[in-house]
Amino acid sequence: MADDASWFGVPTPRIDGVAKVTGAARYGSDEPIAHPAFAYLVTSSISRGRIADMKLERAREVPGVLDILHHGNVGSQAKPPPSMTGDKATNTLETDRIEHDGQIIAVVVAETFEAAREAAHKVQVDYAVELPSASFDSSGVTAEPKKQKENPKVGDAASALAGAEVKIDAHYSTPTQHHNPIELFTTTCIWDGPKLTIYEPSQFMWGLKAAVAKQLDMDPANIRTVSRFVGGAFGSRGGTTSRTAWIAIAARRLGRPVKLVATRSQGFTIATYRAETRQHVQLAASRDGKLVALSHEGWEVTSRPSGYNVGGVDTTARMYACPNIATAVNVVHADRNTPGFMRAPAETPYMFALESGMDELAYALNMDPVALRLVNDTQTDPVSGLPFSSRSLTACYDQAAERFGWSRRDHKPGSMRDGDWLIGWGCATACYPTNIAPCAIRLSVTPDGRATVQMAAHEIGTGAYTTIGLTVARALGLKLNDVVVMLGDSDLPPVPVAGGSNNTASTLNVAAKACEQVRDRLAAAAVADHESVFTGADPKGLRLSDGMLVGDNRHEPLAKALGRVTGGALEIHAENVPEGLPPTAIGSLYKGTATMLRGGSRKDVTTYAFGAHFVEVRVNSRTREIRTPRVVSAFAAGNIVNPTTAHSQFMGGVIWGLSSALHEATEVDPKTARYVNNNLADYMVPVNADVPEIDIIMVPEKDERVNPLGVKGIGEIGIVGMNAAVANAVFHATGKRVRDLPIRIEKLI
Amino acid sequence: MVLNINGRDQHLKVDVRTSLLDALREHLHLTGAKKGCDQGQCGACTVHVDGKRELSCLTLAVAVQGRKINTIEGLAGADGGLHPMQQAFIDHDGFQCGYCTPGQIMSAVACVHEGNARTDADIREYMSGNLCRCGAYPNIVAAIKQARSSMERG
Ligand code: FES
Ligand code: FES
Repeated sequence: MADDASWFGVPTPRIDGVAKVTGAARYGSDEPIAHPAFAYLVTSSISRGRIADMKLERAREVPGVLDILHHGNVGSQAKPPPSMTGDKATNTLETDRIEHDGQIIAVVVAETFEAAREAAHKVQVDYAVELPSASFDSSGVTAEPKKQKENPKVGDAASALAGAEVKIDAHYSTPTQHHNPIELFTTTCIWDGPKLTIYEPSQFMWGLKAAVAKQLDMDPANIRTVSRFVGGAFGSRGGTTSRTAWIAIAARRLGRPVKLVATRSQGFTIATYRAETRQHVQLAASRDGKLVALSHEGWEVTSRPSGYNVGGVDTTARMYACPNIATAVNVVHADRNTPGFMRAPAETPYMFALESGMDELAYALNMDPVALRLVNDTQTDPVSGLPFSSRSLTACYDQAAERFGWSRRDHKPGSMRDGDWLIGWGCATACYPTNIAPCAIRLSVTPDGRATVQMAAHEIGTGAYTTIGLTVARALGLKLNDVVVMLGDSDLPPVPVAGGSNNTASTLNVAAKACEQVRDRLAAAAVADHESVFTGADPKGLRLSDGMLVGDNRHEPLAKALGRVTGGALEIHAENVPEGLPPTAIGSLYKGTATMLRGGSRKDVTTYAFGAHFVEVRVNSRTREIRTPRVVSAFAAGNIVNPTTAHSQFMGGVIWGLSSALHEATEVDPKTARYVNNNLADYMVPVNADVPEIDIIMVPEKDERVNPLGVKGIGEIGIVGMNAAVANAVFHATGKRVRDLPIRIEKLI
Repeated sequence: MVLNINGRDQHLKVDVRTSLLDALREHLHLTGAKKGCDQGQCGACTVHVDGKRELSCLTLAVAVQGRKINTIEGLAGADGGLHPMQQAFIDHDGFQCGYCTPGQIMSAVACVHEGNARTDADIREYMSGNLCRCGAYPNIVAAIKQARSSMERG
C-alpha cells in the first residue's frame, strides 16, 4: 500500500472545518449539561509548608454555596493520579502538606460560577510556612542522576576531547515554559448510578479513564471520558492531573453534575510545564570538521517527589556521526509542581544546546555552519550502529539553503547590514524520533457505500479527523464525504496517548489494517462465489476503488460484494501491535498504558524525521530590537498524508520555535518559588504581528521500514532546533553568543 | 434581563455579576464564544455588540441589554451557508485546534468592516488581540485577504 503514489499527498480541507468555524465543534466545557453546579478551585499561595487552619465560615455564608471539599472532609477519598514516571506524584487534598505553589487545597461548589468564585476567595487559610527552594541556585535543592534507562555512551569521549585539534566547551540554559493552550483546564463530571462520565480535554482518553478508576478505586468499565475536540494541548493534557478526581467526588457528594473551568493562572500550577534546564556541551573535531567527540550533560528541575526528566541526550547523541560520545542527565528537586511533556519535550531544550554548540564549532573551525552539518551527516545511528530507516537531512539542508539564498551569506559576524539593522542568518537541524504504539479501531461498511470509523483518537489540532478519514476513504475506494469519523470518546476502541508524535502513525496503520481486512473478506467471498464475476480469480489481485470491487479487468459494486458476506453492515474490530513490541502491548493499552515503540529503541532500525531551519534576524544597532522577517524550513518526514494540515503543523511548530527563542519564559520568584507571570499578558506568546513569512518545504521521502504506511509524526519536529537557528542568527548579526533563552533585548546590550 | 442575540430576544435570570460570555455559554448554551482567559487577554470570547467587536468576558451581561449582540452562531446565513470569512478560514486552514477560531472570525469580520484589513501589516496588527497558540497566524492573514475581497464585492 505504501508504494501507491496516489495513496496520500492530496491537499484536503479539514472535514471538521465547518464545525470549527461555526462554533458547533464541542470542546469539553461546551457539552450541554442539565443543571450543573459550578466548581472553583482554591489553590495555595505558598510553595512549601502545611495548612495549619482553614476557615470556611465566610465562604459557606455566600448564597448558593453547596459544598466545600478539602483535606479534612474528602482527603482520603482519592489517591493522587499515577505519575508519568511511575514514582510519587505531588499531592493535593490528600494531605495538609503544601508541596508547590498553586496546589489545589479546596474545591468550592455552588449554584453559579459567580457564587463559587466569591466563596473561593473567602476561604481563609493559615499556613505553617517553610522556606521553599525555587530552582537550580536555591539552597535546599537536591540533585541526583536520573534513574531511568542508561544514557548513550560510545568510545572514550574524555580522551578524544583532550587530544582534539579544535573544540568548544559551553554552558547553555533554557527557561521554564507553560503550554498555555487557549482552552482552559476544564472538567465536568456526571454520575448515573455507578457510572461516571467525564468531559475533559484530554490527549489520552483511555489513560484518563484508567487513572481516575485507580484514584477512585472504581471499575474502569464504569467510567467514560469524552473529548471530541481539544482546544490545544501541546502535551499539557497527556497525563491525568489531580483536579478530575476531586470534581468527580464533588459531583458524587451533591448527586448533581459539577463543572469546573479553572482559571488561566491556576493552569500554571494544576497541570504540568516544561522545566528549566542547564546543559554543558563539549564538541571536538578534526580540522576538516569531522566530529571526534561529543559530550552532553543536562540538569533539569523537577518536583520533590518525582524524578521526571526529558533526557534529551538520547536524541543529541544520535544527531551526527561521532566515534566518542558521553552523555548524562541529572534531576534537581525543588518545591515545584511536577513538570511534564511539552511539545518536543526532550528535543526543544537539548537540541538548542547541541545546535548552538555546532554553530560555535563552525566558527571555531572557520567553516560554514551548513557545511559542518553535512560533513557529519550519517545514515548510521552513531549510538547503536543500526541504520536509520531513512534520513534526508542533507536534502533538507540543500533545498532550504537554496530557497533561503544561503550562498549569499558572508560568514563573518556583523558583516551584513541594512541601514540601522544588523542582519544575521542562522541555521540549525530539526529532528524528531518516529514513534508508534498499539492502537485499535472499529470500522463498519454499509451497503449504501458509506463507512464509519470509531476510535478514541484525539483531535488536538493535528487534523486527526481528516487524516483518518482520508486513509479509510482511499483504502476502501470511497469518497471522503462518505466516511464518518467518530473520535474522542473512551467508549470507542483505545488509541494511545497523543504524545511523542505517534498518533498519526498509530491510528493510520491500524485504520489501513482494518480496511485491508474488509478487502480480504470481500475478495475471499467474491472469488468463492460461483455466480460472481470474480469466480476463481486470485483474491490478492482484487481491490476496492470508486465504490467497486475491482481486479483482473472485472468489477462489481461494493454493495453486491458486501451482500455476499452480510445482509447488512460489515463491521471490523481491528488491533495493531507494531512489529517490535510484545503482543501484550495491546492488553496494556486497554488498561490505559501506551507502550511506545520509540525511534531510538528499535532493534531493526533507528527511526527519526529530520529537517533544516534557516532564519533571518534583524537586530537594531541602536535599540537592539530583534526581528525575524523570514524563515525557511524544510522537513522530510516520510509520506505526508494531508499536506494542508501537515503544513499547519510544521508552521505552528516553527512559530513555537521562534517563541522559544525570543518570547517564552515563566518567571519563578526565587524567594517564594511562585510563578510570577501566570497569565497571557505577562507570559509572552507570539501574536499575529510577531510572526514573519514562513516558508515550509516538504521534502519527499519514501520510507518502507519505518511502518507499513511509511508515515512519520510531524507534530513536534517544527519547533526543534528553531531556537538555536535564531540564536545562531543573532550571533551572526551581532557577534554576541546568547546561550540562555529567551533572547531578549537586554541580553544584547 | 433581556438580551438581543443574533436577532432574537432572549430572557434570562442571572446573577448581576455574570459576564456576557458566561451568559452566552452557561445560560443560553451558545458555546461558540470561548473562554480562554476570562480577563481580556486572549480574544477567544470576541463577539459583536452593535456591530463592533467586544470581549464578552470583560462585558457584564446587564450592561448590554438593548444592544444587538452577534455571536459566531449567528454569522452564517439563515440558509446555513457559511459567511465568506468562515469559508476562507476553511480554505486557508486558518486554524488547528479551532479553539481561538470563533473569536478570530468575529474579530476578522469586524476588522474588515473597520477598514483595518487593507494591508497585510494592518491585518497582522489589528488581529493581534486574538491569540492563536497553535500558530495559525499566516493562514489567518491569508483567509482574511480572501474574505475581504468577497465581502467588499458582496
Ligand atoms: S476569554 Fe475574553 S479575552 Fe480571553
Ligand atoms: S487554532 Fe488552536 S489556538 Fe488557534
